[in-house]
Order: sequence, then structure tokens, then C-alpha cells
Amino acid sequence: MDKNKVSRFTKMIEGLQEFSLLVRDVFVHLGSVKDNWNETVKEMYLIGTKSFFLIFLGGLFTGIILALETGHQLETFGATAWIAKTVSLGMVRELGPVIAGLLLAARTGAKNTSELGAMQLSEQIDALKAFGASPIEKLVIPRTIAALVMFLPLTLIADIVGIFGGMLVSNQTFHSDISVFWNTAITSLKMKDLFVGFLKPIFFGFFIATISCYFGLTTKGGTTGLGKNTINAVVYSSALILVIDFIFTKVVWELL
Amino acid sequence: MIELKNISISLNDNVILDDVTISIEMGMNTIVLGPSGAGKSSILKIIIGLWVPDSGEVLFEGKNVCKMTTDEILQLRKTVGMVFQGNALFDSLTVAENILYFLPDKKKLSQNELQLKIEELLSFVNLSGTENLYPEELSGGMKKRVAIARALAFNPQVILFDEPTTGLDPINTESVLELNEKLKQNGITSVVVTHILDDAIEVGDNFIIINEGSIIEAGSLEKILRSKNPFVQEFFKRFIEENHNPFIRISKEVNK
Repeated sequence: MDKNKVSRFTKMIEGLQEFSLLVRDVFVHLGSVKDNWNETVKEMYLIGTKSFFLIFLGGLFTGIILALETGHQLETFGATAWIAKTVSLGMVRELGPVIAGLLLAARTGAKNTSELGAMQLSEQIDALKAFGASPIEKLVIPRTIAALVMFLPLTLIADIVGIFGGMLVSNQTFHSDISVFWNTAITSLKMKDLFVGFLKPIFFGFFIATISCYFGLTTKGGTTGLGKNTINAVVYSSALILVIDFIFTKVVWELL
Repeated sequence: MIELKNISISLNDNVILDDVTISIEMGMNTIVLGPSGAGKSSILKIIIGLWVPDSGEVLFEGKNVCKMTTDEILQLRKTVGMVFQGNALFDSLTVAENILYFLPDKKKLSQNELQLKIEELLSFVNLSGTENLYPEELSGGMKKRVAIARALAFNPQVILFDEPTTGLDPINTESVLELNEKLKQNGITSVVVTHILDDAIEVGDNFIIINEGSIIEAGSLEKILRSKNPFVQEFFKRFIEENHNPFIRISKEVNK
């Protein structure tokens, strides 16, 4: 085999090992969140409040497009009443969590990697270690906890706004009754749908935070390296979101 | 005493330090002098346990740093301050917050006690009144002095300086060197890594000359100047010539 390919494969395995150790450290140091509560609240604000508009727009237009596309197909069968069910289940089970996850992977993931990467390049991470502080406790735990706490409400917002967008299309384009739409949308949702839909963002949040922090902390090679790692963080987080979504849809859905 | 015995370390197949053995006496200013890329900064990172050598041992007051547990390393780091080449101040924190960031048991201190501590440290580094400024509002020399104040916050026995005067104008250089002298008068051990000969000679008690990862010469200035080693002679050539030139020597003495 090509020597470069072997070296790349070895680096990938080493990277996976380092990432696993970081995830282990996150669990080991989880209790330190109480010592870094101010930082955690600040991160919650940056991830949550600051992402609200992006999630709002993402959710709204996903719901609108979903209603438009399915509405045109259902109209040919005279089944536009099913738009509500399609949008409701589609948003809560799949599109709400995935769209919110992908948007947050781009926004939060890029933010975490570029921040920690810049700190790594300017020796701030070394300074933390040199003065007896743990970068995991001071930087990774607050970002992970903030993501775990904030991703669920943000996904919920994307879901609700998406269904609202679907309702607008259903009412204005396909002339469905608003109360019938809401009634169908709500009664279509079973406990299982809500459980799967609300469990996904917790996993997405955890992996987006840890992957982006990992790439930030392992930044080297100046600004070029920082750019490369920021791209990697967004790409790997986004890919993992799709994989986790598939696992949930296929495996967890069948098990429940 | 801090001792490095037969230390070797390589990174990505590049030899950084090769069988390095040095002793650093407490209460003295020890200068590690050599050209850029000689391995000077790695000595500091090994002393503080940020880097683990491939072979050899580091003894800090008789205790082997390489065999310390994580808790013991954290305790050691609380007795050693470090001033990084790029200062490594946290951009999002004010001068006061940067100084207090690593202060142990700060939650046990009242607001008044913390304020007094900041005033005392800022006055020591001649930066009174700057506590609410952010690093971006400070000049290079001021940042360096804040970094020194931060390193002094928990009364360390030893301070490690990585290129403390690189990139500073002569006035700021002089104030940093004066601070170094002040630290010595307060009984603090300094280890200064630099490639600037004039600054090294101004504050140094003992000198360690390093090139390409190996120790070339170590001892007092007189011993170094008597060295027959061609690298040492080349490195100190300008200093020796200037000191043999009566006009330059007199001019320097008048300036002092």
C-alpha cells in the first residue's frame, strides 16, 4: 500500500483514539460544571439566544417547502388534508432535529473550533495547563453542557415554527382550515415520535460540541491549520448528524 | 534546584532536545541562550510538565516531574509561573480578570481582598489603573507586564520567561528587564529563554548556551566568555568586540 495512505490511515486512527480520550475526559470531569457555571451560562446564551433567528428561519422555510412539495403531490389525489400529518411528523421526527443540528453544527461547531484553535495557536491553552487549570474543565465542559441544554429547546422551536410554516402554506395555497390543520398535526404525533424527535438533539449537541472542541484543541500549523480544522469540525459534525439520524430512524424506531 | 538529566525529546521525527543535562539554582536568574529553533522553549515546557521527554528525568527540588501524578503536576504548576512569548492573555477578559483567572481559592476572598490583590500586582508591574482594560487596548510591553502580574498572582517560587523582550521597543524592554531584577530581589527564581544577547547579559547570573538541541556551554558569564567553543565564540563575538572597544564601552557606561 502507498506509504502516504498508511500514514493517513494511522493519523486517522490516532485522531479517533484522541477523540475517544477527550470524550472520556468530558464524562470524568462533568462534575466541574458547577465551578465553571458562569462560563457555561455564557455559552448557553451564545449557542441558544444568538442562534434563535437562524433556527427560526431554518425551521420556518423547511416547513413551508415540505408543505409545498407534499401539497402539490397530495393535491392530485385530493388528499391535501394529509399535509398537516406529513409536515407534523416530518418536522418532529426528522427535519426539525436534522435541520437544527446541521445549522448548529455550522454555527456552534465553527465558533468552538475557531475560538479554541486561536487559543491553541496563541498559547492560551498552554497557559491554562501551565497555571494548573484543565482545558477540559474550563473550555470543553461548559461548551458541551451548553449544547446539551440548548439544542433541545432550539429543535423544539424549529419543529413548532416549521409546522406553523406548513400551516400557512396549507391554508393559503391549498385552502385547508387552520383548526383542522392544527388538530390533525397534533393528534398525528404519538409519544414515540416525540421521544425520538427530542432524543436526537441531545446526541447531536453532545457530538457537535465534543468534535468541534477536539478540532480546536488539536489545531496546529497557523491560520491555515485553523481554517482546515474549522472546516473539518463542521464536515465531521454534519456527517455524524446524518449517521446518528439514520441510526435513530432505523434502529431505535424499530426497537421501540 | 531544578535539574534536567539526560533529557531527549523528538517531535514528528525532529530531534528537539538531545541528551540535555542542566542545573538551575534557586534564587538566581538563569538564562537559556541560543538561536531561534535551538530548543530553548522546549526546556521550559519540560520543566513545567507540559511536554513529557522521551528519555531522561526532570527533578524539581528533588522530585521527579516525569513520575508525578496529575494532581502532583497541578500542585507543582501552582508554584511555577510562566510568561509566554505571545503573553497568552485571554482576549475576552479584562486585565483584572486575566490576573485573577488562575488565582486559587479566589472564591474564599472578599471583593475588597481581590481588589487589593489586583492593585498590588498591577502596582508591582507599574500598570496601576489598567484593571478594566482589555488586552487589545494594551501595547506589547503592557501586555507582557500583565502576563508577569498574572504569573505572580499566586506567589510562585519560580517564573519561567519565554522570550520576554522579543518584539519590544527599548523602553519596554528595559522595564521588563527591571521587573526581572525586582523579582530576583524578592527571592524569586527566574529562568529566561532568549536569543537577545544584550538582555541576557543585563539580567543573567548563570547562562546555558544551547544550539540544535544540545547544550554547548553552561556557567557564569566569565566562564562562557572564556569558552573555546566556536559556536559560543561566534554568538558572543559582537559582545566581546564591543567590550574591547573603549569608545563603545564608555558610551554604554555613560548611557547607564
